[in-house]
Amino acid sequence: MSRKTLTILLTGLLCLLMALPALAGEPIKLGALYNLTGGMSSIDAPALNGAKLKAKLINQAGGLLGGRKLVVIGIDTKTNQKAAATGAKKALAMGVVAGLGYGDTTFVMAAAPLFQKKKVPFVTSGATHPMLPRWVGNYMFMVPFGDDDQSFAIADFTIKKLKAKNVAIWTDNSMDFTKALSKFYKQRIQKLGGKVVLEDFFMMGDKDFSAQIARLKNAKPKPDVVFISAIPNEAGLTVKQIREAGLKLPIVSGDGFDTELVTTVPGPKLANDVYFSTHTYREDKRPEVLAFVEAYKKEYGHPPENAFAALGFDAVGLIADAIKRAKSTDGPALRDALAATRGYKAVTGEISYTRPSGVPLKAVSIIGVHNGKYKVEEIWMPQK
Amino acid sequence: MGAGYIAQQIVNGLILGSMYALVAIGFSMIYGIIRLINFAHGDIVMIGAFATLGLMAIPGVPFPLVAVMVLGVGGLVGVLIERGAFRPMRGAPQVTGFIASLAVSIILQNLGILILSAQPRNFSFPAYLQVMINLGPVSFRLVDLMIMVTALVLMLVLMAVVYRTKLGVAMRATAEDLDVARLMGIDINRTIMVTFAIGSALAGIAGLMWGGKFGQIDPLLGFVPGLKAFVAAVIGGVGSIAGAMVGGFVLGLAEVLFVGLLPPIYSAYRDAFVFSTLIVILLILPNGLFGRSSEERA
Amino acid sequence: MDLRRSFRLLILAALAGAGLVLVMQATLDDYILSIVKFVGIYTILAVSLNMTNGYTGLFSLGHPGFMAIGGYATALLTFPVERKAMFLPDLPAWLAGLALPFLPSLLAGGLCAALTALIIGPPVLRLRGHYLAVATMGFLIIVQVMITNWDSVTRGPLGLNGLAELTSLWWIYFWVALTFYVAWKLKFSSRGRTMLAVRDDEMAAQTLGVDVFRTRVFALVIGAFFAGVAGGLWAHLITAITPTSFSLVMAFNLVVMVVVGGSGSIAGSLITAVFFTVITEVLRPLEEGLELYGISEITMALILILILIYRPEGLFGSREPACLQPDEPARGERK
Repeated sequence: MSRKTLTILLTGLLCLLMALPALAGEPIKLGALYNLTGGMSSIDAPALNGAKLKAKLINQAGGLLGGRKLVVIGIDTKTNQKAAATGAKKALAMGVVAGLGYGDTTFVMAAAPLFQKKKVPFVTSGATHPMLPRWVGNYMFMVPFGDDDQSFAIADFTIKKLKAKNVAIWTDNSMDFTKALSKFYKQRIQKLGGKVVLEDFFMMGDKDFSAQIARLKNAKPKPDVVFISAIPNEAGLTVKQIREAGLKLPIVSGDGFDTELVTTVPGPKLANDVYFSTHTYREDKRPEVLAFVEAYKKEYGHPPENAFAALGFDAVGLIADAIKRAKSTDGPALRDALAATRGYKAVTGEISYTRPSGVPLKAVSIIGVHNGKYKVEEIWMPQK
Repeated sequence: MGAGYIAQQIVNGLILGSMYALVAIGFSMIYGIIRLINFAHGDIVMIGAFATLGLMAIPGVPFPLVAVMVLGVGGLVGVLIERGAFRPMRGAPQVTGFIASLAVSIILQNLGILILSAQPRNFSFPAYLQVMINLGPVSFRLVDLMIMVTALVLMLVLMAVVYRTKLGVAMRATAEDLDVARLMGIDINRTIMVTFAIGSALAGIAGLMWGGKFGQIDPLLGFVPGLKAFVAAVIGGVGSIAGAMVGGFVLGLAEVLFVGLLPPIYSAYRDAFVFSTLIVILLILPNGLFGRSSEERA
Repeated sequence: MDLRRSFRLLILAALAGAGLVLVMQATLDDYILSIVKFVGIYTILAVSLNMTNGYTGLFSLGHPGFMAIGGYATALLTFPVERKAMFLPDLPAWLAGLALPFLPSLLAGGLCAALTALIIGPPVLRLRGHYLAVATMGFLIIVQVMITNWDSVTRGPLGLNGLAELTSLWWIYFWVALTFYVAWKLKFSSRGRTMLAVRDDEMAAQTLGVDVFRTRVFALVIGAFFAGVAGGLWAHLITAITPTSFSLVMAFNLVVMVVVGGSGSIAGSLITAVFFTVITEVLRPLEEGLELYGISEITMALILILILIYRPEGLFGSREPACLQPDEPARGERK
């Protein structure tokens, strides 16, 4: 081969190589709607971190649909419903193939219906109300289990493992999440033959629970267990104050108690005999979990703050998996692929959408706190 | 619901009230001297709480020294805000200053989230302060007692300063009539600065107490004490230090007693009850408990 | 001659506005259109708060409370009967069977809010300055707590969702125009001058025979009516309404808009409403690009402080730009 031919060939090859990225196609955009400032930021910010991490890992492994890069566009909706609505419209105007976000039903309800209308799937990483798919429509998907599942799980544990007969229930009356949790818990306790001897209330943001504690002390018949339906902000405070008052009865809750605060605020001596139902992630030795924790530490310099980080990670993973199966990013096709998800190995457990309610069939982990240490007490599966 | 239960609730209310009082006093002082509703006052409480956390983490610093340093931090922040945001605006209509303080509050909160992250953090005092004290039916922790005692001591010191020192005379004069005070030769810039420093120092130490009482802090925690300070100051009559003190205790007691004495179903209505009471108090005493009706002529 | 001229100007302005609406609906995408709609709603809120706070000098933080009342009332009336049965089974019978079109529902919402103002006005408006501020704040919080706990009618914290998106740009245009017109007419009428007099020097106004108390109640009621309507428009734009939709934070934002625009200036309220709504969106890409969430809030707050330092009276003070001044009768001048 003459030198001239070789030069032409090599130049041609170089041009081809430089054009390859362009041939790889435009990026696949996902709109991540989260409250990164304002009151919900401690729950939502880690979720966005998790989501971006997953996208980065996918891109490192070669991207989707023939090398296209996955881009997660984080939109801060400032714990403000108007911003949620305009954020959703903005994401849709930017041509995202799917939306994800939020740890609270209120914000999902402000944003998801807009996606439904435009036939773009919306996957919530952290909102757990079991009626969501029915309220929004068939383009709505949940990564976590429903509140009914987690309440039933901890109720079963209360009656069967803790052998309780009389139960006290404290409810945060300012959030639909906590009210739903209490409602399902009470329903299940009574079905299993338990008795609710005291129902007390508080509001998100309350710092002092001395009145409720005094009523708890004086309740007749004496409650064997107290169920506290609260979000992370009040989790540590309630445990601390109850134990400081000298009450030793087991304290149970839902995934609102899945936070470091439940051990750090009371301290190792007082963080005792606390049990809560949550996503299968904490203290879990599955390879997906360990890999996630390692990757998160490497990327952000500290371990994941709470389960919402893992859930955000899973939301992106779920969408990516569906894109691969659908072999397209078209709205209806993606929706169908998502609905057909069976046994997707998420960090927070296996996800399958087999139930008519649209709520995923996922395992619930019951975590016990003893002397400031977490331990998986049991894994509960909902009935098919 | 025996007498012991009620006694316990009253004690709880007083402890909470002493913290509110401390924040309300600083707030009222600032209002008294330049007619400014400082909405960033609550965020100085937040800064005090985080400063405490940071200082306690330095090994070898004894706790009482931390408390003193936090006073300094609070005062410094107050002075910075005064110089940066409020001094250029002196002489403007009242509501302008209010809005500016709101802007400062937004800046502090968002800086807090950016720098410190929104995650709530655990906050614990040295163990010897967590000891439980039992006096008959009533029990509280040593830290609660310290909060109340410190608050009262600081209030007494403040009263002494305001009513027995030359600085206090300058403060009262400036509060009464700024222009005349200036004509009398009082350095109003310095007086205002010192007032801000003292008021903010009190807010800073209130932050230390807040963290110690509740065990948990986050960058947005300032909103609640700021609001309560405002309400407490209004109950007592804005501008009156004694009024702010009393207002703080009244508010603390009202909050705890409403939840404590009413059936559980009403616990969720607590804020509504407290504010309704507030409105009723104001209707009977339109200038708060100790306020002067000349306030609004400014 | 004067009357004809202002009338012609008015018609011209209305037509220009309508033309603008047509163009915007045809060309803008959904996202930008929703921003424009929010600008409209904030304008209604700012101008109506101006009538209460700006003209009369009241310091009311209760505006979002009236929005909430109006918003929920409107939503409950437009909610289709079948959905009411599903979501709100405990509704009283007369309400459960009722479903009205948008305009009557909005009017009903505004009227509910105005009625509430009429009831709480007399006791609360005896207070002055910061005491009034705290009392109106108390009103707002009481409304929030009531809504959160009155589950059977409001669904508590969950709120009402799936509302029909009835708020079109035309409706907003209509209400903005109406609010403007009422505010403008009011400001330059005898009653409006009375309100401004009460603000500037109450004692002098009283010596001139002004019934200060009635003036203040009137100011609250008329502001409340438009706030209620705005609440209804808001609810049907976001398609959801919850107890936290209208909070103390919003009360502060509205007061900011009124003060920065100039207490008593309609044009000022309009410009500030537009400015703040747009700036938030404009700063967003910056925030997302730098991944420094919170920067847009900080920037807005800094801009706010700068405006207040250099123009403490607000952008327009109490005046209106010359083109909006009504034609004064000639005072020895030639026109």
